[in-house]
Amino acid sequence: MSVRQMAFYFTSVIMVLFSAANAFAAQDSGAAQDAGTQAATNAANAGQEIAPAGVLAEAPHHANNGIALLPAQSALASEVHFFHNSVLMPIITSITIFVLGLLIWVIVRYNAKANPVPKKFSHNTLVEIIWTAGPIMILLYIALFSFDLLYNEDVTPDGKRIVAEADGSTTSFTMANDFASDSRKVSRKEHVQVFVQQGENRVKLRNRDYKLDGLKSDAFTVTLNDAPVEGSLVEIHAGRSVVGAGKNKEIALAPFMTLKVNGVQWGWKYSYPDFGDFEYSSYMLPREKTTERLYRLAVDNNVVVPVGETIRVTTTAEDVIHAWAMPNFAIKIDAIPGRINETWFKADKEGLYYGQCSEICGVKHSFMPIAVEVVSHEKFKAWVDEQRAFAGMEPMFDGTDERLASAELAVSK
Amino acid sequence: MADGAVKGQNNSGNTSAGHADRYGEEHVPSFWVRWFFSTNHKDIGTLYLIFAIIAGVVGGAMSGLMRMELAEPGVTFLTKFVDGSLEGEAQLAAASNFYNVLITYHGLIMIFFMVMPAVIGGFGNWFVPIMIGAPDMAFPRMNNISFWLYGASGILITLSILAPGYGSQIGFGGGWVMYPPLSSTTGSPGPAMDLLILALHLAGASSILGAINFITTIFNMRAPGMTLHKMPLFAWSVLVTAFLLVLSLPVLAAAITMLLTDRNFGTSFFDSAGGGDPLLYQHLFWFFGHPEVYILILPGFGIISHIVSTFSKKPIFGYLGMAYAMVAIGFVGFIVWAHHMYTVGLSVDMKAYFVAATMVIAVPTGIKIFSWIATMWGGSIDFKTPMLWAVGFIFLFTVGGVTGVVLANAGIDHYMHDTYYVVAHFHYVLSLGAVFAIFAGWYYWFGKMFGKEYREWLGALHFWVMFIGVNLIFFPQHFLGLQGMPRRYIDYPEGFALYNQVSTYGYYVMVVAMLIFAYAMFDAFFIYKKKAAANPWGEGATTLEWTLSSPPPFHQFNELPRFDGADAKAV
Repeated sequence: MSVRQMAFYFTSVIMVLFSAANAFAAQDSGAAQDAGTQAATNAANAGQEIAPAGVLAEAPHHANNGIALLPAQSALASEVHFFHNSVLMPIITSITIFVLGLLIWVIVRYNAKANPVPKKFSHNTLVEIIWTAGPIMILLYIALFSFDLLYNEDVTPDGKRIVAEADGSTTSFTMANDFASDSRKVSRKEHVQVFVQQGENRVKLRNRDYKLDGLKSDAFTVTLNDAPVEGSLVEIHAGRSVVGAGKNKEIALAPFMTLKVNGVQWGWKYSYPDFGDFEYSSYMLPREKTTERLYRLAVDNNVVVPVGETIRVTTTAEDVIHAWAMPNFAIKIDAIPGRINETWFKADKEGLYYGQCSEICGVKHSFMPIAVEVVSHEKFKAWVDEQRAFAGMEPMFDGTDERLASAELAVSK
Repeated sequence: MADGAVKGQNNSGNTSAGHADRYGEEHVPSFWVRWFFSTNHKDIGTLYLIFAIIAGVVGGAMSGLMRMELAEPGVTFLTKFVDGSLEGEAQLAAASNFYNVLITYHGLIMIFFMVMPAVIGGFGNWFVPIMIGAPDMAFPRMNNISFWLYGASGILITLSILAPGYGSQIGFGGGWVMYPPLSSTTGSPGPAMDLLILALHLAGASSILGAINFITTIFNMRAPGMTLHKMPLFAWSVLVTAFLLVLSLPVLAAAITMLLTDRNFGTSFFDSAGGGDPLLYQHLFWFFGHPEVYILILPGFGIISHIVSTFSKKPIFGYLGMAYAMVAIGFVGFIVWAHHMYTVGLSVDMKAYFVAATMVIAVPTGIKIFSWIATMWGGSIDFKTPMLWAVGFIFLFTVGGVTGVVLANAGIDHYMHDTYYVVAHFHYVLSLGAVFAIFAGWYYWFGKMFGKEYREWLGALHFWVMFIGVNLIFFPQHFLGLQGMPRRYIDYPEGFALYNQVSTYGYYVMVVAMLIFAYAMFDAFFIYKKKAAANPWGEGATTLEWTLSSPPPFHQFNELPRFDGADAKAV
């Protein structure tokens, strides 16, 4: 067999292995989804297996003996998935297979039987340059995606939103470009997204459907090619916090609310400073109060947040260091006594998501899970008022709250 | 080695067993003086290797207890090891504390008492002086103190396991990183932590003395004509490692001393209530901790270079590149520490810097991997046992290396940090990297050190069973990490059960491999008893140790070998 033939066969084997691995990974996450949905249906049918505290049925998002990242439930987590599955995995798999291939080649070709007389060379400037420059190029390619992702994760978004009711003739909408600094001002077409909502039907306009004037200045104008139908809603998102992967990029809006997280040995305390700063504790449910699958994940009191809103999370701790982790949103942040850390997430879909303490904190480190329940705005308001009642406060929502009202316009679909 | 390059060593009359005969007319001290007051670098190397084997058995048994507990969800196994009168929550707490103690001491023992003594104290002591043509280390008595400080440190860490830590529980259970406040009086009020700090002080002092010894020896005692650029790569690797030790261990000593005074004398370096900062400890710890991982692996790089060159019967490819790649790795290793701290709340620009710096390490590491393969390329390779381990090392280190590139990216690490993905990564580079290098070196130099041969097929069998076992343990842990399983968990939800079970089966396979190893050694010493030749590996083995008898004379190079002849080359 010639060298060329062997190279051909070797490449083919790599390609087959690679596509098989991809197919397996895809199938795996699909299977996990199905299993989860199935379980949820079963739970609903069986009656007694309903998830704790009267919340949603069992969520299909937690670990299920799979081999892939847990399903992404936010635009940012999708970006993490894209970076891992589509940038890093192909690279590291190819490098590993390449090294393995070289090793197999030298084992086959240069063993003492096949090659009784060793060559004596010990230098080759060209290949040394290649194997220095090659990895540098690969790392630069990785860095292209890595820094974007990092800054998207770590810079709390500052996107803004305006909603206007169309009168059937107006095509121009002006929006202030009043971001905290010049470096955050809207300056490119990607920094603006326009949606038109007519009844239940919400569409994102394509770039060619509108013109932008006055970018980089103190205010900019969006001019639509066609005036939207009277009564429909025109919604403009603007800002540099463009997160997500591929075509699903979105402009993350400035935080809607803050969730204060306080780690204790061994549970969590949560408070909601924007809604009266009521506080409650969250501890793991004992085995008999939950299902076998959710045991060690389910808690007595979930975190409750509204869907589609940016949530700022601040963490601290009372005794030792803990870490608040939520894999479906691809976030993890340490809770350190005497310090306050900050991160954020925005859940795309309603559901119940689980995480676990991720910094060793003593004997019950394994038993202080985290559960985040993402609900509609209606449910969130009701829940807030319920919590305020527990804390002896007046209800907050009588239907006139501006912030929630505008938020609802934006996310109702 | 060209004939005539080495002159004067006493390698005659050592064909029969027994010390008196083996060493001919040399003066060999009595047993007690020889092994307890030893100043001979080879004897001290042997002592270190024995120490490392004992520590390896203890640390390995600890991982066995952990894996057996983790075989299935629920705390079902370690409960058997705690006070039988306890029930329910108290029993669970005691078992969990025991688990935390196991993860803590498994890490500390494997790092400080197994890998470091094996590669630096053991192989370093044995072969650095010989490879550079020196009669012994520069400071033989300090060498002796280094070893016995390790002994004292071993006693203190054993006491630490048995002393009260948290509440009525014994031992410190906060992970090998010992982050305050879990390691301060808040999280671990008992004396276990104090004893652990003192144990690490002594281990650190021992390593610093050892490092000073190596640096002095290598800089001043090379044979005439052996310039640094002709020095064998293992000596290079130990030189770089020694600098890392000297520069990083004092920082650890500072950190744990501050922890000690925080615990006992009312200071508050790491207590925010008193103006301190728990993160200060983490910065100091990882300023030591990251170079430490290179301390563990660099001597392995050196060992692998020799083995690959020997069995390919070719000079090492790109010798200078290999040497300076290690220097580069050592240097960059000092400026990447905060990649262990991506989730502690560092500013984003700081993370961006550490991402960039960390990824840079992939370049010199890649140079090493490719140079080893290029050394094999065109060679006439004998796949003897040491070479099997070396090739296994190259592949598994590559796997561990590429997952390191993944983890270097803070954007991904926010997901991966403190999950089993990290556990899989560092066990691929250490348990399958450093440990494979240790076994490679052991089989490579076994005949040289002990004058006996092992049975080739037993060594090969050990390799293959071990290769399967460790991959079965650690590869599925990548899946667990991707699914989000946090590390240092005694119990886990059902969704992590499958790959934990596979991992535990892998551990049993590895135990079989270690039994094969134990038998192979027993066989070599007591059944096979075949004398090792001075150079069993043939033309490829060109460094000075192969010019001496096996085992070498009690004192070698009474007349120094010379490298100023045009025909001699050490690499």
